[in-house]
Amino acid sequence: MAEDLVLDTAIRDWVLIPLSVVMVLIGVLRYFVGKLMRSSQTADEKIVKEGQLIIRARNLRAAANFIPAKSFRLRKAYYTNEENGLLHVPKGQATNPQAQMFSDPNMAMDMMKKNLSMIIPQTLTFAWVNFFFSGFVAAKIPFPLTQRFRAMLQNGIDLSTVDVSYVSSRSWYFLNLFGLRGLFSLILGDENAMDDTQRMMQMGGFGMDPTKSLSAEKDSMEIIQHEWALPKMGQRAEEVLRKFVKQ
Amino acid sequence: MATHDDSRSPQKKAADDIPIYSAENLQSNMKSIYYSRTFLSIIGGVVAGIWGISGWTGFIVYFLVMAFASLGLALKAKFSAHKYFDSWNRVLFDGFFGGLMSFVLFWTFAYDIVHIF
Repeated sequence: MAEDLVLDTAIRDWVLIPLSVVMVLIGVLRYFVGKLMRSSQTADEKIVKEGQLIIRARNLRAAANFIPAKSFRLRKAYYTNEENGLLHVPKGQATNPQAQMFSDPNMAMDMMKKNLSMIIPQTLTFAWVNFFFSGFVAAKIPFPLTQRFRAMLQNGIDLSTVDVSYVSSRSWYFLNLFGLRGLFSLILGDENAMDDTQRMMQMGGFGMDPTKSLSAEKDSMEIIQHEWALPKMGQRAEEVLRKFVKQ
Repeated sequence: MATHDDSRSPQKKAADDIPIYSAENLQSNMKSIYYSRTFLSIIGGVVAGIWGISGWTGFIVYFLVMAFASLGLALKAKFSAHKYFDSWNRVLFDGFFGGLMSFVLFWTFAYDIVHIF
């Protein structure tokens, strides 16, 4: 470090602390607003049915070894047989999710609400930070970094002579944005823990075809190897009992 | 460290290979691990910042804290991890890096407030 900057304590009191506090409070506010805006959807019967069906099939798959081979075969046939198995989706009946979305305005509305509740607070805070706090050297990271990080950490101040570990206020905002997730998960419960990244994922997977997951479930059901656990359980019980007797 | 131990926790016997888990309990145990690690990384960050630790020493502190967390979790599970988790790796390494961002943020924050200005 070539030279140490002397920062005004007023910057701490009027930039660093308020910025961090506001970020936390906005996170909390966003959580509650999101909670308020979440409409209680009346789920479509067909979709609920399919979801439950998949859960049932998954349970069967997980617990397959605890039932006799015959019972497993029966259940497997019930789920996967080619004529009227529950997981079997007839060709041509698969609905196009895109078309379904357009036919159901509620779904699009919900999606938009979710996105808006994410984007609006972020743009607003960013604008607010830009307006009030642009150009401050607000903080200093306590470990050395290479020049590559300059663009990331000193966003908003164009001084090439300042040591890289000094952080501009705008970059402090970004650091808060990413680093506070852990804190939010602690104070707001786990619903919020994975909101941003998770929502991105949801957006990516949005318009996913429910029939696809049905047929995927069917495939994995078909390749499962069945091995009844009961014979082994006898051994296990014997072990346990022997232990008891020894004591 | 609020490691949540249910009496009905997933059990597994090493002798035979059929795993018997209760998925929900396993999940809840993992969640407690995640919470305790996040909590410790935030607290550790603040403490490191107030002590004025700077440079790479800070990261060493982070790893010490995480190792301490692993030890505490193992202690809480009474060193029989298989009773509560499906493998030892869950206790020792799960979420090892998850708290790093929080740690760095709170470390920087406390360090700046106390030492820079």
